[in-house]
Amino acid sequence: MITGTAITKTFKQRGNVLGKREVPALRGVDFAIPKGGAVSFIGESGCGKTTLGRIIAGLETYDSGEIVIDGTPMSSLTHRNRQPYYRRIQLIHQDPYSALNPTRTIHQTLEAPLRLRARQTGRSKAWCDVRAEELLDLVGIDPGYVLPRYPHQLSGGMRQRVVIARALTMDPEMLVADEAVSMIDVSLRLGILGLLRDLRERLGVSVLFITHDIATARYVGDEGELYVIYRGQVVERGPTETIIADPVHPYTQSLLSAIPVLHGLERPGAEQVVPTEALDEGQTDEGCLFSRRCPFSTARCESERPVLGHDGGESGEATVQLHACFHPRRRSVIPQGVGA
Amino acid sequence: MTRDSAAPEVRVRDLTVVYKTPAGELPAVSGVSLTLTPGTITGVVGESGSGKSTLALSLLNAVQPPGRIAAGSVEIDGLGDVLHLGGEDLRRTRGRKVGYVFQAAQSSLNPLKTVGKQLLDLGRSHDVADLRALVADAKALLARMGLDGARVLDSHQHELSGGMRQRVGIMLALVLNAQVVVLDEPTTALDMITQATILRIIREVHEERALTTLVITHDVGAVAEVADDLAVMYGGRVVEHGPIAEVLGTPRHPYTQGLIRAIPRLSGDISLARALPGRPPTLGTLPVAGCVFRERCDKRMEICETVEPETVTYDGRTVACHAAGRPAPVKRREYA
Repeated sequence: MITGTAITKTFKQRGNVLGKREVPALRGVDFAIPKGGAVSFIGESGCGKTTLGRIIAGLETYDSGEIVIDGTPMSSLTHRNRQPYYRRIQLIHQDPYSALNPTRTIHQTLEAPLRLRARQTGRSKAWCDVRAEELLDLVGIDPGYVLPRYPHQLSGGMRQRVVIARALTMDPEMLVADEAVSMIDVSLRLGILGLLRDLRERLGVSVLFITHDIATARYVGDEGELYVIYRGQVVERGPTETIIADPVHPYTQSLLSAIPVLHGLERPGAEQVVPTEALDEGQTDEGCLFSRRCPFSTARCESERPVLGHDGGESGEATVQLHACFHPRRRSVIPQGVGA
Repeated sequence: MTRDSAAPEVRVRDLTVVYKTPAGELPAVSGVSLTLTPGTITGVVGESGSGKSTLALSLLNAVQPPGRIAAGSVEIDGLGDVLHLGGEDLRRTRGRKVGYVFQAAQSSLNPLKTVGKQLLDLGRSHDVADLRALVADAKALLARMGLDGARVLDSHQHELSGGMRQRVGIMLALVLNAQVVVLDEPTTALDMITQATILRIIREVHEERALTTLVITHDVGAVAEVADDLAVMYGGRVVEHGPIAEVLGTPRHPYTQGLIRAIPRLSGDISLARALPGRPPTLGTLPVAGCVFRERCDKRMEICETVEPETVTYDGRTVACHAAGRPAPVKRREYA
């Protein structure tokens, strides 16, 4: 179980004559990732989802807030004493093409971390070879074929499976998968998503899935939780299926409305939320962060910032999911299937 | 309608493009025939290595060594066979007649020059007499796409966001009034909302300017949003082609069926979705004889091992598959 409270992070850019520019990446984020659970972070590029993933994996520092792993607050430990905790959390990179060393065979790639693990757990060298084969079997590729080969001899899907096998060498309790399928061919994507779901079920590994593609989040597993992040703030949070079927925050609604409809197989939902034109400019730090782009924004949204809660609106409509909006309303935006 | 008469037709016939490799010349595109109906958007989907980008480059006769167009023709109304053009004629055609929006707009813009300077370069290289009018056209186009034209023309590419660069790419492809436009992966690496905006802009500009448009992508969802027709490529062949709602609604080729089943979707039963078995072929692993898809196909028959399926056309749809070759009664569906 990993929890975080009020995590903030600000990137300071190199100064010029006008002084330093500060870019807030995370503005007080709370999260909880249960053992064996599946949590997905959704948002556009630059929203802070990758930064948060890297903080959770121990690869990035944070300015304030607290992360607690299995009851131990990380702030109470020295850097060295945190290492055993971060071993349990492994990162799967986005790009399987650059994540593997091109001059090493898959056998060499897996051997190095396995040797380390063998030393940590007092096992023999022979165990490493057995374990390497076990792991490749687990991720669904033939060890005999893959082990002697170099990364360039494997397809993108196979490489991503090798990357996952390498992450598993450390016996992690959690995998952080950052856009793990966006570089994989469409016909093979579901295979990788299915593997992550399988690892959850068979090994009890929890999965933190970071993506901009909401649809893929459904396939990491049932009972998953979805966090919708906008400019460093969680704007909606709840069970994945509930948020997709019944989004209440206008940002979630516009993300879902933006997903292309497969004409002939689906038709768009009844109430589309089309984001306003100014996509790239006119961002404000006053009031609700989404107010400039929000079609439903009012005077209050421009002066006051809503916080994540069960109902933030005058409508007083209670919802299962948490949201940060003054005017929450369920809208039906997702594509509907056309009869088979 | 007037726009239909203005837009040119593009006819690709028996196009074969080979790449020189240590193992000899291998075909990336093999005997492809494809007609782009005037005034329509045709989407080409395929996985990496399916030959879709090579096909797109052939429309400009721009296949670079080690690649070589080995056979076939690409006829564009008013231009003739593009593959027979060379030198100055070819250079003038590119940009003025056929606009091309490159895969990564950020790497196709010059990082050292402002967008405006690059626009003037484009105008001069095509002997545009009135550069002021060209700049005015460019500003109007950018404004049409929701950008501040003057500001964008004064910017370097690093000052623009991904969505803005993509719109600059579209502007540069259209500003000389090209009537055939090729977009190579126009929305890859863009965020969902930006992608939706770009797709809407492509659709609107296409209709306003009476274009014949080809969109190359690996994303079936993105193409479904804009295209009228869909061509599905696999292993250098067009395996299925037809009106998009019909191809997606009642796919006939097993690859199309598998591809649609493999798309992560927002609605519907998760357990029905599955990945295609096997992996996409590369130049080196393409089978020499028989159907290129047979190793991943669940409808494989004996004949598939030895005989490459012919492309059969019926009901305005083409499909290249032994198992789907027979005309069957078409199930009607209602489309949204």
